[in-house]
Formats: sequence, C-alpha cells, structure tokens
Amino acid sequence: MKITIDGKEHEVDEKKRILQICEDIGIEVPTLCYHKDLFPESRCRICLVQKDGKLVTSCSTYPTEGCSIITKNEKVKKARERNLELMQPSAPVCGPEDDFEICKIYKEVGLPQTRFENIKDYPQDLGASVIRDDNLCINCGRCVQTCGEIQNVYAIDFMTRAHSEHVSPYNNKNLSEVACIKCGQCIMNCPVGAIRESPHIEEVEKALADPKKHVVAQTAPSIRAALGELFDMEPGTLVTGKMVTSLRKCGFDKVFDVDLGADLTIMEEASEFLHRVKTGGTLPMITTCCPGWILMMEHFHHDLLPNMSTCKSPHEMLGMLIKTYYSEKSGIPAKDIVVVSIMPCTAKKYESQRPELDSAVDYVLTTRELGRLIKRKKIDFVKLSDDEFDTPLGISTGAGAVFGASGGVMEAALRTAYEFATGKGVEKLEFDQIRGTKGIKDGKIIINGKEIRFAVASGGANIKKLLAKKDQYHFIEMMACPGGCIGGGGQPIYTDPEVLQKRAMAIYQEDAGKPLRKSHENPIIK
Amino acid sequence: MQILKKTQLKSWKKAQEIGAEKVLELLEKKGLVGRGGAAFPTAKKWRIAKSQPVEERYVVCNADEGEPGTFKDKLIIKKNAETMVEGIIIASWTIGAKQAFIYLRGEYEYLRKKLERQIKEVLKKAKTDIKIDVVRGAGAYVCGEETAILQSIQGFRGQSMYKPPYPPVEGLWGKPTVVNNVETLTCASQAILFDDWDTNLRLFSISGCVQKPGVYELPLGIKMSEIIKIAKPKNKLKAMSFGCFGGIMPINENMPVTNETICQNQCHHGAYSVILIDETYNVVDICLSIAKFYTYESCGKCTPCREGTIRMLNLLKQVRDGRASKKDLETLNEFAHHVEETALCGLGQTSGEHIITALIHFRKDFEEYTKEKKAKDKLKNKK
Repeated sequence: MKITIDGKEHEVDEKKRILQICEDIGIEVPTLCYHKDLFPESRCRICLVQKDGKLVTSCSTYPTEGCSIITKNEKVKKARERNLELMQPSAPVCGPEDDFEICKIYKEVGLPQTRFENIKDYPQDLGASVIRDDNLCINCGRCVQTCGEIQNVYAIDFMTRAHSEHVSPYNNKNLSEVACIKCGQCIMNCPVGAIRESPHIEEVEKALADPKKHVVAQTAPSIRAALGELFDMEPGTLVTGKMVTSLRKCGFDKVFDVDLGADLTIMEEASEFLHRVKTGGTLPMITTCCPGWILMMEHFHHDLLPNMSTCKSPHEMLGMLIKTYYSEKSGIPAKDIVVVSIMPCTAKKYESQRPELDSAVDYVLTTRELGRLIKRKKIDFVKLSDDEFDTPLGISTGAGAVFGASGGVMEAALRTAYEFATGKGVEKLEFDQIRGTKGIKDGKIIINGKEIRFAVASGGANIKKLLAKKDQYHFIEMMACPGGCIGGGGQPIYTDPEVLQKRAMAIYQEDAGKPLRKSHENPIIK
Repeated sequence: MQILKKTQLKSWKKAQEIGAEKVLELLEKKGLVGRGGAAFPTAKKWRIAKSQPVEERYVVCNADEGEPGTFKDKLIIKKNAETMVEGIIIASWTIGAKQAFIYLRGEYEYLRKKLERQIKEVLKKAKTDIKIDVVRGAGAYVCGEETAILQSIQGFRGQSMYKPPYPPVEGLWGKPTVVNNVETLTCASQAILFDDWDTNLRLFSISGCVQKPGVYELPLGIKMSEIIKIAKPKNKLKAMSFGCFGGIMPINENMPVTNETICQNQCHHGAYSVILIDETYNVVDICLSIAKFYTYESCGKCTPCREGTIRMLNLLKQVRDGRASKKDLETLNEFAHHVEETALCGLGQTSGEHIITALIHFRKDFEEYTKEKKAKDKLKNKK
C-alpha cells in the first residue's frame, strides 16, 4: 500500500498501524498510553496525527490506500499540547532526578503552562512493596493492562467514571488487601511514576551512617546486567566491577554475591529433585526462587503446594549465611549486621517482611533505588574502576549467574542434577532450548536412561498456560516477570523489548567467562 | 401512527418466502436508514455482517435510549414491542445470527417483565430457534454508543472502543454484530410488509418550554413553524436544540427540518428530538445543564473527554457567576473545539457542540452574566 507521510511517499504494510509505520521509518510520534506489548486502547490521545486532514490517534488507526499523513504541523502540535495541558494539573512536573516517560514527552511537545487547577485528591496506597499515588496518574491504563493481559492477576482496574475515574484495586482497597503478587510489572509500564516500589532507601542510608552497624550488601545476578542503563550506558553492558566499587563508595562494609546463594539453591533443588524422582515424590517439582510466583501460587494455585520445592530464595539463603556463618567467622555479632539485598524485584521487599519466614534480610533495594543512592552520593558511576566481591561469600559460579534470566535456574539445576545422578558432567553446558525470550520453553534430557522433561515459564499469563499442561513435565521453573529477573519489577524502566534480550546476553556472557560453571564446584559449598 | 402498526408475524412469513437477498433489496428500495442518529443504510449494515466469512453472528437491539429529550423508543417498547421483536427475528435470520440481545436502558427496567413475556410469545409463534436475551444496562449514557454496548454485553466496563473494526465486521466476542436501534428494527419489520410504508415519517420527541410535549410522527422536511404550532409554547421562543448533542441554535420558523438543514447550522441531527427554549431562559444555564450531563456521563477513557468536560463545566460555572473574562470564553471555545476533534467516541466528539453553537449564536447571553455581576459590584461599592 502506498501512502504519504509528511510529504514523502512510502510503501507500507497495511496490517500495521500508523504509529508502528512511523516508528519503522524513523519518525518519532510521542505517546503515553501505547506500549508494544499491550493492546492499543488509545486513551491518552497524545499520538495524534493528521490523516487526510482529520486528527486521528496513530496508535489505533490503520492507513488507507493513498492517504496522506502529517505528523508535525501547527494543528497536530496544538492538539497534543492541549491534551498534555488537560493532564498537567496532576501529572508530575519533571525535576532533574525524574526520568519518567512523560518527561520525554514534555521535551518533545513542550511542558504546557496549564490554565486549570488540580482537582484530584486521592489517598496514597502504601502497599508492602508497591505503592501507588493516584494523584499523579494520567489514566493511561497501562498498569491495568499489564496486570491483566501480561500477568493475568487482575489486581487493579479502573474505578468509577468520568473525571473521577481512577486506577485502584477492587472497591478502593489497598494493594496489600487484594490478591496482588507484588511483581511490580505495573511500575515498569507507568509513564508518570504514579506507581513505585515502596522505598527502603532512607532506612539503608540511616544504617550506612550508623558507625555501630556493619552493613553488608548482597547483589542479585541480574543487577549487573542492567544497572548501567541508569547511567546512560548501553543496555546489556556488564558492570559487575563498577557495581562493587560503587557499593563500597556508598559505604557498605562488605559486598557479597547472591550468585553464591543461587549456587546453594541449586544444590538443594537438584538434590531434592533427584530424591523425588528416586522415591516417587510429587512431580512435577516447581522452583521456588521467585517470590512473585510464590504469591501467585498462594493466591490462585494453592493446590500446587506439594509440588513446590522446599528451598528458600537465594538471597534469603545467603542472608542467613551472613548472619550465621559470616558472623561467627568475622566475630561480628549478628545483631550488628545489617543485610541489604540489591534485587531486581519488588516482591522480595514483601518476602523479606513475611513474618513466617523470619527473614535474615533487613532491607531490599531495587536496581532503580541503588541507582538513586549512587546518584545521591554523587558518584560518577561510568568512570569507576572495577573491583572484586569480598571473600568469603563473594565466590560464585556461572550457574549462579544465569539465574537472572528466564530458564537460568533450570539450566543450572540440570547441570548439577545430571552430574549428581550420573557422576559425569553434561556434554553441553548450554541448554539452548530454554534460553531466549520466549514466554514458555521446554526440553528434555536423558538422565540414567530416564527421560526427564522440563519446562520454563515467565510472566503470569505464560505461567497460567504452562500450568494447564504441567502434568507432562517433571521439573518446572516459574518466574513471575516476563523474561525472568532481568525483566523484574525493580529493574531500570525500558520501553524497547530488545533491552531484555541484551540483558540476557550479558548474563550468559558472564556465565561463559567464569572458570567455574557448575554450582557444586563452588569452593565455598564444598 | 405508522410506527405503531403491528405486523403480526406476517412480515416474518413474507421474509421467509422471498428469501434473505430479497429482504435486503426491499429494505434498500424503501430507503430504510438507521434511526439512532447516524442514518447509516440498514441493508448495507446487514450485508456487511452477512458477508463476513465466519459462522457465528449476533444482532443487538439498542434500547439504551439515553439522549436527553429523546423518548421515542420507550413508546415503541410500550406499545409495539411485538413488531420490534419481529424485526429482530428478521434481522437475525437475514444475516444468519442465532443469538440476539436487547440492551435495555437501566431506567427502563419497569418495562422489562412485559417485554420478556412478549419476546417469549413472539418467538413461540414464529417457530424459530433464534434466541433473544434482554440485557439490562446499568444507567450509563455512553452504553448507547454501539461499541460501548458491545463491551457492556460482554461483561467489560461500558467504555467505547475506537473504530475500525466496525461492529458488523468485529463485534461481540470478535464476531460480526449488527447493532440497530429499536425504531430501526421496528421499521424494518414494517417496511417489509406494508407497501405504503413511508421512510420519511420520523418520530419527533418534542420537549422544552411547551405545553404539549411528547412523541409525534411527522414527515421529514416539515417546517419548524408547524412543529411549534403542535408543541404550543408557553412564551416567545428563543432557541431550539435537536438533542443536546445537536447544539443550540436560534429559532427559525421557516426552516424545514431535514438532515441537511440541521447539519448546515453546525449541528448534528441526532434522533429528531426537538427541545424548544423560550426567552425566560439564559442559554448559559441551558449549556450548564448539558455540560453537567456530559461531565457526569463521560466514561473516563480518553483524556480530552474525561478532563475536558469537567473543565468546560467549571468554565461555564464561572460564566454564570459573572467571573469569566474574555480570555476564559476563548479558553472555553478552544477546548470545546479541542474535545470535539480529539475525543474517542461520539459522546466526546459532540460534548462541546452546545458550547460552540451557543457561543456563535448567543454570545450576548454569555456577556449578560458578566455585565450583571459588574453592575452588582458597582452597586455594592457605592454603598
């Protein structure tokens, strides 16, 4: 189909909407409610363009033969400006620290001097790990769609109508009172920062300033593949060394690696799985390192309890080691040690506060919070030199590293389980069938003449799909966030789906570069 | 009244005899168009749905008449529901639908019991396996819009969707769906049976400052003076409005009422509801009550309508209180146009019409309040 865009003729795919077409040929159209992974609802009306003289939303409109599209002129500009002006009274005015999507729109369209007063007055929703402020909300609906379409959780939806329409859990309850899995994917898709992680940063700063406290940081495998993005580095840049240096500069006394916790988890999980296979225990066994998935299981699939592995999540395991083994070894009493987990995850904030877990972790910072902390301390992250994790709890294997990507836990567990059962190493360490960004992946392996079928799912909707056919598998890995921890709700916010792939590549690169690549080879564990 | 003539299943019999294709041709020949306000040719709509290459299809009878000043569908449901149901059966049969819905306005709940009984009777007599269910709306005006109706029937929030895809292509559960208004379906049944059926006879809902409000069947092209004569106004008339989304214009006794003449005056013709306003009213007050309606009934989905309608209402309140400057009036006009141009559905796209037309034709009324306030203030200062 031939159409004209801004005076130039283009041959375009008629099955694509105008916004996609413009993006493909390099014309940027500002939008707030459109997201590649979601069904276009065309709520925000910022992506307006002129099609044959009429204003239409480019996110929802298909081109017609020979139509003429104008993306930039006075009329389009004015219309976008007015819609921004209508949102403005309550939407955030971007300060220097903010990098919400709407800030980019302000730069493109211009921050309007609004003629209207703010009429919103909603109470804040202070959940255990996700907090919401409806007063900042512009009703783009992406969080609602994410929770429903991508995660299949349906914890939030729109309430009432007209100008009092707002996003909220059922009947204006708080997030902590409804079946929310705390995955934080809504945060990832909020263009105005109306939904955020509940901050632990002040408490951590207080602990850091306290000379009596011995503050220990432990970092998750997926942080190092994403932290750089907060400092304008290319997505997928591995910043392990710089991360350790920056944590030391922030004032942490020791920096340990949750990769070791991951190795521990694998040891436990692989042994438990083999035990279940041998003794006829409940199969399929399902992994338990993702607290988002745990919450999902508790809310929606509690009949699966016998299928769950009995392992704690890696950072809880390492946290416990720090407060016992490390405390004993270093002579620092456990009550003086403050364990801060740096996680890609908002659900871990909730996990660390679960009363039944008696958690050893005191505070959980998300990747974004760590970035904020580093910026607050005025550390020039990009120019930092590389440093190593502290001993003894900083040595880890490649198997621990791949935990960060969807399929990683399964891969690491199989490497170990195979060797435990057969006494030989697997022929090929990389399990290609469960790598990549597909939502559901599966494969099989022969262990001692028995075929073991395994499957991996990430993202709530995919989990639901996989559960429907769970009985054909022996071992299943579940991750609540799309792409696994690299796409976690605490990670730097991205809009381009390719970012996920780049982060995964970085993690696999770290694995490939390590001398030790199987969890049971970790000298600490030995 | 032509619309109250009963077809007594003879139309259904005739349709079966002549076949679906002939039914469509007949409707085309008789010139039946949608009576909900958009005047889309009915046969064309049915043809689009019929031609989709899928098995399942649906028919929805839109009985969510919520437009202020319109009450003609209520009359039909009360007095001639059998013919309407017959129209639904014919429509379903013609396009090949097995299931039809009547989306009944929430406020018409009291009509429901009788209607359901009538449906049962007609279906039994018609000897057909087509199912007709009554779905009750919850009172939202926007659910009279065809895409919002479909959302509501499917159990989602009653909010409009953008078009295309149009419902005859992708409607209920992604299947082709014909959405027709009560009057349209009743007319369809009558047009098939009666040779002397006249497409130019329309139902006019007349209300406002008149002594004889009500539903009248009048021919298109009738002069305003005659309508006024029928309605018997109490005082000298000043303005008229064809449904509140039709805008407000000065009374013009010589104007023949046709789609074209109404549209020329920047207004939409709507469903021929005529609201007459006399000189005792200031047009700003009329605008204010229309704006209140829109502000309350906006579904909240798109930014211009959700945020724009409340801002327009607030500005109008300022005008009424005499606090509006010239700049405020400009802002009001600017956003009335803006909301119309950029809103998602018909509700938003017409929610500024009354303000735009009032500002063109009755600017004096807007200034009157400001003058009044100034005069009052002066008096106060003197004291």
